[in-house]
Amino acid sequence: MSFALGVLPVALLLLGFPIFLVLLASVTVALVFFMSIPLTVLHQNLYGSIDAFPLLAIPFFIYAGELMGRGSVAQRIVDVVQAGVGKVPGSLGVTTVGTSAIFGAISGASAATVATVGRIMVPAMRRAGYPETFSAGLITAVGAIDIIIPPSIPMIVYGAAAQESVPRLYAAGVLPGLLIAALLALYVMWFARRHGIGATESFDLRRLARSAARGVWALGAPVIILGGIYGGVFSPTEAAGIACVYAAFVTRVVYRDIPWREILDAAGTTAIFTSQILIIVACASVFSWLLTVNQVPAALVGWIRSLELAPWMILAVLNVLLLVVGCFVDPLSAILVLTPLLIPIVKGAGIDTVHFGIVVTVNLAIGLFHPPFGINIFVAQSVLGLKLPVIYRGIVPFLVLYLGALVLITYVPDISLAGVRLFLAH
Amino acid sequence: MIDRFIERLTRWIEIALAAALVIAVILNFASVVGRYVFGVAVVGSDEVQIFLMVWIAFLGAAVVTWREQHLRMDVLVGFFPNPVQKAVRAGEAIALFVLACVVVWQSAGFVRQMMAVDRRSDAAGMPMAVPHAAVTVGFLLIALIALRRLRR
Repeated sequence: MSFALGVLPVALLLLGFPIFLVLLASVTVALVFFMSIPLTVLHQNLYGSIDAFPLLAIPFFIYAGELMGRGSVAQRIVDVVQAGVGKVPGSLGVTTVGTSAIFGAISGASAATVATVGRIMVPAMRRAGYPETFSAGLITAVGAIDIIIPPSIPMIVYGAAAQESVPRLYAAGVLPGLLIAALLALYVMWFARRHGIGATESFDLRRLARSAARGVWALGAPVIILGGIYGGVFSPTEAAGIACVYAAFVTRVVYRDIPWREILDAAGTTAIFTSQILIIVACASVFSWLLTVNQVPAALVGWIRSLELAPWMILAVLNVLLLVVGCFVDPLSAILVLTPLLIPIVKGAGIDTVHFGIVVTVNLAIGLFHPPFGINIFVAQSVLGLKLPVIYRGIVPFLVLYLGALVLITYVPDISLAGVRLFLAH
Repeated sequence: MIDRFIERLTRWIEIALAAALVIAVILNFASVVGRYVFGVAVVGSDEVQIFLMVWIAFLGAAVVTWREQHLRMDVLVGFFPNPVQKAVRAGEAIALFVLACVVVWQSAGFVRQMMAVDRRSDAAGMPMAVPHAAVTVGFLLIALIALRRLRR
């Protein structure tokens, strides 16, 4: 059995097989050669894992982000943030951080933020004299905030895998996301002051009011999404559906950025992207089920207990594991396979599963821009035309900042849980 | 010729799935509006949305397979010599074909059972064979694409 559930998946993964095929092959080999369970469970689990209303939020949030990304929404948010930032050192860099954080509250996909915000901000930073390594590192790293600030697709998947409430996870993600954004902004300001990079324009209330008026519809999206969820008006799935209608209305009717045809075109792109994710969700659920019926999580919990580790040490070990996995495997696959294994350990150690969900998300967010395989690196390379060595060098300080934030978020649970108390007090 | 046909087919599937997503969004919106504005629930709306997503997931997977857009970790394979890379790709196509056939075989049996007992969804009253058939059709197309890749 350890061949089917351990050796085979690792070997096929290293051979570059598609992840869904790696999982499906391991499961089928285990069922055919090592177990006496009817193969019908294959269909039941493949179908059963997708037959879940909360998962609908995935295509809906992707669609809303896709529609917003095709119009002038990002540029309008940049204008508002830039006007609000005013004359601080490194104002363009701070604007990049602020815009990414707001865009993260609309979209749930990190790569989209890197591409959309990067197309506007990287050339602007280049013209303003920012070193190329700095702007490359900033835009690659800042996109990772997107999956920490709700709405977040990895949190929906974690919620499904850990049977945890998505609104609670979303509420818990707000402060850690803002903490990371604040750390990045402070670093940008320090760097700009040290390298003599000036501010753009001084703060002007009238300019801010003008930009806010132009961008009010764009800024309305996060208010509707998060306000609706935290106010108990919508479920996350309903909020995601409302976000789609709002995004179509704003980009087509209010701003007239895209023709009707492009609304259907964006839906096609979204559907294909969704199936890329959901086919992995389906196959990973069969794999997780197989791990559970073979009592792998129970054995793992027993082994960890026998080591008699303190909760803080367990969290340290899990952080290292998640960071390593996140460097090689995409966040959703990692969450689907690891969550059923880790949740019993976490519960056994008395760690809150919402807090742990945020720790998992931050770890895997780091994997999005961690060399050598972070997806944001390749997006920055292909969409923004940045060179790999430049990005790799530029990422280092931001990686250190994220790791510092991870330590804080891991060992101060209130950074996550205060959000739950604050936003979901009712 | 065959490749052109599959290319056209996948394009039509993409359009159909786009329409399915838009319908799901409209149903979702109608549900919320129905609840808050008219005080009535759109019966079966949640179920139909889920069934549309199931079709998007499995039929879309066939399109993703044809376009070779599945998520994978292929950086290591890039360092292999060309003949080894070709052998690995052939092995992948064989595994894909065999495994997709296994799923189709199992799934078709399940769908036949659903049809035999005429099982219907609780709220919308839709035959449950319809959403379950998404797994069969999706993996059938994946098997055919894998076979085409093997013949090439």
